Amino acid sequence: MLQYIVKRILIFIPTLIVITLLGFIISINAPGDPVERMVSSSQNNGEQGAQSISQKEQKKFWCSKLGLDLPVFYFSLTSLACPDTLYKIYDKNEREALGRLISKYGNWQEIQKYYSSLIRFNEFQLVFVADSNLLKQYDKSAVLETMNQIRFESSALKASYESSVIEAKNIKISNLISSYPFLSSLKPAFELVKQNYYSIEKNSSTWKNYVPRIAFYGFQNQYHRWLFGDGGKFSKGLLFHGDFGTSYVTHQPIADVIYSKIGWSLFFSMLSVLLAYLVSIPIGVKAAANRGGRFDKISSLVLFLLYSMPSFWLATLLIMTFANTDVLHWLPASGVKPALGYPDGASFFEMMKISFPYIILPAICYTYSSFAFLSRTMRVSMIEIVNQDYIRTAKAKGLTENKVIWKHGFRNALLPIITVFANVFPAAIGGSVIIESIFTIPGMGSETIYAIQNNNYPMIIAVLTITGFLTLIGYLISDILYAIVDPRISFK
Amino acid sequence: MEEKKSHIENEKIELGSEKDFSFRKYAWRQFKKNKLAYYSFRILIFLIILSVISPVIATDEPLYCKYKGVNMFPAFSLFNKCEIKNVDGSSEIIQYDITDWKRLDATTIIFAPVAYAANKTDYDNADYVSPGGGQVFKDKEGKLLKMPIKFRHWLGTGKAGEDVLSGLINGTRISLSIGILSMLIASFLGIFLGAMAGYFGDHKLQTTRGSFWTMAIGLLMAYYYGFSVRYYNIIDGFATSGIAVLFQLLISILIFLSVLYLFYMLGKRVGEISFLSTPVFIPVDSIVSRIIEILISMPLLILIISISAIAKERSIINLMVIIGLTSWTGIARLTRAEFLRISNLEYIQAAKSMGFKEYRIIFRHALPNALAPALVAIAFGVASAILIESSLSFLGIGVPPETITWGALLSAGREQYSAWWLVVFPGLAIFLTVTIYNLLGEGLRDALDPRLKK
Repeated sequence: MLQYIVKRILIFIPTLIVITLLGFIISINAPGDPVERMVSSSQNNGEQGAQSISQKEQKKFWCSKLGLDLPVFYFSLTSLACPDTLYKIYDKNEREALGRLISKYGNWQEIQKYYSSLIRFNEFQLVFVADSNLLKQYDKSAVLETMNQIRFESSALKASYESSVIEAKNIKISNLISSYPFLSSLKPAFELVKQNYYSIEKNSSTWKNYVPRIAFYGFQNQYHRWLFGDGGKFSKGLLFHGDFGTSYVTHQPIADVIYSKIGWSLFFSMLSVLLAYLVSIPIGVKAAANRGGRFDKISSLVLFLLYSMPSFWLATLLIMTFANTDVLHWLPASGVKPALGYPDGASFFEMMKISFPYIILPAICYTYSSFAFLSRTMRVSMIEIVNQDYIRTAKAKGLTENKVIWKHGFRNALLPIITVFANVFPAAIGGSVIIESIFTIPGMGSETIYAIQNNNYPMIIAVLTITGFLTLIGYLISDILYAIVDPRISFK
Repeated sequence: MEEKKSHIENEKIELGSEKDFSFRKYAWRQFKKNKLAYYSFRILIFLIILSVISPVIATDEPLYCKYKGVNMFPAFSLFNKCEIKNVDGSSEIIQYDITDWKRLDATTIIFAPVAYAANKTDYDNADYVSPGGGQVFKDKEGKLLKMPIKFRHWLGTGKAGEDVLSGLINGTRISLSIGILSMLIASFLGIFLGAMAGYFGDHKLQTTRGSFWTMAIGLLMAYYYGFSVRYYNIIDGFATSGIAVLFQLLISILIFLSVLYLFYMLGKRVGEISFLSTPVFIPVDSIVSRIIEILISMPLLILIISISAIAKERSIINLMVIIGLTSWTGIARLTRAEFLRISNLEYIQAAKSMGFKEYRIIFRHALPNALAPALVAIAFGVASAILIESSLSFLGIGVPPETITWGALLSAGREQYSAWWLVVFPGLAIFLTVTIYNLLGEGLRDALDPRLKK
């Protein structure tokens, strides 16, 4: 038995790794630039120039905090044209622009020259200060406007890749520079940029894009850091410390958010599993015992209809009927506790008593679908058992109907319903997304929806990974239960 | 006499069908015996027809209109406008989608049965007018009249005056097409992978060492030339439209397959070299089973939500592909189990001994006998795909916001609980469709499984 459990856990490990990989792939393909979001949400209002410098520092800080300055994976399949060091460019748009340039022209040397001259031009015009004597002749605001435009265009140039766009921007910047004579000192730097761009086009080596190459990066990569952390500097690692990273919305650690939210979700899923088993087993057994009888027919029909009922419809209907001031206002429509919260020093039972009316409707919605499913499974497996020879023997011995059903049949009929346990558990978590958001329960489900609406990817990935993990555990538990209930099963 | 003859003929036909007893006929007869399943099958066909003709029966453009002596068929027309020459030589252009047909001075005009489009609003009946409530109609002079029966909102209106019935009819198309097309993808994947896993197992697909490694490199290469090199093309496709994505993906898959084929041919040659010709087995079953295990350990709804969260463009096609790619596991498991059983049967052995090619045995001889359980799983799968789509629309994540689906209609009802018709009717539509597919699945299961024969 122990050997079997150990073996099962060993099989889980590769599955778990693939789940983390899947979550990781989704997170790195997420649209938008996380660094940009982090910086813009914690921006300070400084002066234009000062701000852009501090913004750059901030970008660098968040980049290394989120681990985006590392290569993505242990290795990658790239082309001969692609350099190993492209990941070091932390601006997502610039990186993409360079990638596209490479895929178009295939000569990294030239592109690198172009890019560094462009950066130099950008830096140069940031520190460029015109002679104040020369400035006096012109309208100050117009000059400032021109300078800003040059700045804007040249930083936009870094993120552009289509030749028509680049050429248009080149012309525009040239015109802007030549509009004032004192800007002419910017000219040579920009001429270099232009020249370098033309030499990219001239010396293109597209063939390099069609030669594959595998680049190895070693352990210094995003995935490795995500799993194992970087020694506690920015991330402790998911595997041993459960560190899922930082929320894009609140800048809190994800693990803290989950810890504060998972309580109600667990409460509801436990409650629903318990209720579902408590109600469905007697119904299934009773229906099977009098197969074809009135109870069987009616319960089968009702269960089938319940089974096909969308949970969000039932939830909306329930709210519409029982929590509507126009119809019946018996129960509150949303939340899990009064708006004012619990009274101070309330014990757990008092809290439950206060929350009870809030819990009724969500609990019904949580329970009914797994309850319908379980009853149907129970009925089918019980019917199979009732037709077995040993049940007939038991009846022939003269045992009472109840004893035959509950003592001899029931235990054996439990088998399929236990395997189902593995499916009920994750379903309670996955299904909670809808119900929690309808009833505004502060749990994992509404947090997931909130994360999706705000593109908070670390949260989404965390939910995905945790639920995958829980499902695996559910399978393990159901396997062990199976072994306990049925001694015939051997795990060799 | 006539009657008697036909009676005899009927008997003959029945006897005949007993003679050339085919499983398909038997299953169909069994299926027809199950009244509930049979009626849901007929309702399903009705729904499919409804969804195909929905652009014509629920639209504000009239089916036929005679205006100033010109005949027009706006609802059927592929063009959006019609130019009308007046007597004095000036011309008037009627643009179909923005013309106010209900107040047009037409000689004859025939409206669709539901004379409203799903995405257009009736401002006179805005702000939740109930199905039985006092609906009004503004005539040409701007006078408010009682609503004429042919323009009634039979199922009420939404907040901005959207017709609920029209939304329901047009939503049928989206729900059914997502359900059916996503399951089409899932069935292809599930049946193919399940068949491979079940038929070959871990120790039957034999190849040479040289061929194996060539194919391994070939897979990498095929991926490289098909997808890595064309990475930006595919991304740009995603940014443009669903059709562009499909086109780009199709090209990529073609490149992928042809590179793979090249390496397959190469592998055959490499396998002839003496030290590379050692036979190896490809553990198809283990690979497929692992993939299934991984997919089923992910909660489908959350997986689909996270994938659709990163898709740049929200589109129905994206949703179909995502649902299809994630929900094939049930079909694959059943097909695999069935193939495990069938591959040991005598007629397969016979086919092998006759020297038939493997793919011919799999697809011509084994597959038709293994399809029954998969068919049941597909019927249930369509039901759950429709549920997933409507849940996503209900949450406002799946389809583009301007698309009108059942889930989106239902979600609009949550803003105003007194507008019960916005909650009840779309929910009923989802519920009915899901029930129909579930009943169909049950009926199929009973009909196709001879073990349940009484």
